[in-house]
Amino acid sequence: MVVSDSTARRYTLGDPDVRLMLEVRDDSAAAFEELVLRYQGRLITVLDHVVGNRDLAEDLAQEVFLRVYRNRKTYQPGAKFSTWLFTIANNVALNALRSRSRRREVRLQTRDPARSGVRAMEAVLAASSGQMPARQLDKAEMRDVVRMAVGALNDRQRLAVLLSKFEELSYADIAEVMDISPQAIKSLLARARCNLREVLQPYLEHGERPAAEGNGGD
Amino acid sequence: MPDEPANAALTLEEQLVAYLDGELEPEESRRIEELLASDAEAQEIMQRLDRTWEMLDELERHEPGEETARSTMEMVAAAAEEEVAGLRSSAPARRRRRLALAAGGLLAASLAGFLVVSLLTLDPNRELLEDLPVLENLDAYLEVDDVEFLRELSRQQVFADFDDADAGDEES
Repeated sequence: MVVSDSTARRYTLGDPDVRLMLEVRDDSAAAFEELVLRYQGRLITVLDHVVGNRDLAEDLAQEVFLRVYRNRKTYQPGAKFSTWLFTIANNVALNALRSRSRRREVRLQTRDPARSGVRAMEAVLAASSGQMPARQLDKAEMRDVVRMAVGALNDRQRLAVLLSKFEELSYADIAEVMDISPQAIKSLLARARCNLREVLQPYLEHGERPAAEGNGGD
Repeated sequence: MPDEPANAALTLEEQLVAYLDGELEPEESRRIEELLASDAEAQEIMQRLDRTWEMLDELERHEPGEETARSTMEMVAAAAEEEVAGLRSSAPARRRRRLALAAGGLLAASLAGFLVVSLLTLDPNRELLEDLPVLENLDAYLEVDDVEFLRELSRQQVFADFDDADAGDEES
């Protein structure tokens, strides 16, 4: 991608992390370390929820930084650094998801059923029968329910939600990361938030929790 | 599950979500605010979207860990060394490859320096000072595999002029 001088100047002046990346381009290990320290946790957070596995997310985050290092010489500041980084992360995550899909692995095999994101939203909704007694919302339980709801989104909706929620990226930036139009992002996010509302609203108002894994008829 | 709008209601929800995200133009925002002021149903839809969005704050966030960062730096340092080794084994006469080799060597040396500093927690200054002559010339050392050859260079005090000679060689 060719980046005009004015664009490069704008991002260089406006984004300190772009300036760090330019130092990395000039082989500064200190700048690279600083970017790792600034972004590794953020990358793992997003990747964990995208692929649904913490260990894999850590491996993928390392793969992202390896690509950053290997591509350093061709880096041009054509976007915010975080947008560029999460574009790489998106590609790495998509590869991992495709690879896993090919192997037909069951997604997220952990002891905690709430960490599973394999179930489609319809199945989650179908399984959420029976109203639970009204009670104080338990924090851990709520986290499980939210995680389940996010896990039930499709891959594109989930990534858009995570970039919007955790990284607070604009629609334009998310569109760049995912290589689709900002208008498509608007629809994608609206759809995702409607889906989240369908699952979370009953829980929020009545304690109606989506059924645990194994009760969904799968 | 489709990503596209399925019905007219979604268009309103699209607008409400974009409004909540601050993604509407001022004129569009004003229209939504007028709608919300006069339409209780639209107001309820927006509040539900907003409340369930806030629930996502409960999701875990991973704090950056020093151990994980160190592991990443070690991995990249290993990749840098591989890069240098790969370049060294290819045609050395070409100038662009020599420049790449120099750059790769520099980064490998810098990363190695980072790891050395990271690991010297007991008395970092003393050990760092002891290693300084090595660190200063690490990129040069990486060029040469034979320790005995380096010793011979040292005995002949050739290293003192290495940088100047190398710079002159690059320009020629």
